[in-house]
Amino acid sequence: MEEDDLGDAGGPSGGADEELSLPKATMQKLIQEMMPKDLQVSKEARELITECCVEFIHLLSSEANDVCEREQRKTISGDHVIKALKDLGFEDYAPEVEAVQKEHEKEIKQQRERKVNRLQDSGLSEEALLKQQEELFAQAKAKMEQQLGGSQSQSQVEQSQE
Amino acid sequence: MPKAAKKTTFKTRFPAARIKKIMRVDDEVGKVAATTPILISKAVELFLQSLIDEACKEARDSRSKKVTISHIKDVVQGKDSFDFLRDKINSLPQTDVHEGDVSPVKNKKKEREQ
Repeated sequence: MEEDDLGDAGGPSGGADEELSLPKATMQKLIQEMMPKDLQVSKEARELITECCVEFIHLLSSEANDVCEREQRKTISGDHVIKALKDLGFEDYAPEVEAVQKEHEKEIKQQRERKVNRLQDSGLSEEALLKQQEELFAQAKAKMEQQLGGSQSQSQVEQSQE
Repeated sequence: MPKAAKKTTFKTRFPAARIKKIMRVDDEVGKVAATTPILISKAVELFLQSLIDEACKEARDSRSKKVTISHIKDVVQGKDSFDFLRDKINSLPQTDVHEGDVSPVKNKKKEREQ
């Protein structure tokens, strides 16, 4: 299971924490999709809904963090999130979230396999590839030395002419 | 805004990097596995749907065509698992309760009321 930390995307940090929210366009689109066609949402309600979602993220991460600490792990994992959902009374979300977890793990596995396959498809073992790399380095080195040697002899010729 | 290089092509409705930033507001949150923001994104989606469904119920019960803050307030007060939103709801200024009426858009309904 991957434990590496996601790098932070570029952007302002520090004081802007309190204003951190979910993208307005995304929220608008999602709310539109989820609302029945015969009802509308007021702008203020939409904003409140967005704030509620952010609050939900805080709640869920805090609880997942607690679960993580209780298990004496250092990294909040997907399992911690799922346990947190159940602890918070959102157990009906668990099946779908678990399904996403499975899909994601599958995709990661497939990506790793594709990487290995590419290596295998080249028809060479890792050993052979390393050897190939060494040979290429040796060739490049030899070429460079040749060029240096060439320029040296050139300057010698110029000196003798003076 | 530059996006973090994505290691996976897994599509979530909410940007994983943003979710992680929001998580990080809590000082206690430390390292986060790559799959975590993805699962949280899904959970938020489900929460959003749930909130909207309940709010629509309230709107229909009050024979309103528009979901307003007042309806959301009712939802939060009526559902145990939405406890965590009580403080936010209670701190709303009273005037917003009727904000559905102060829409600048003139429509037939308003004219009828006048």
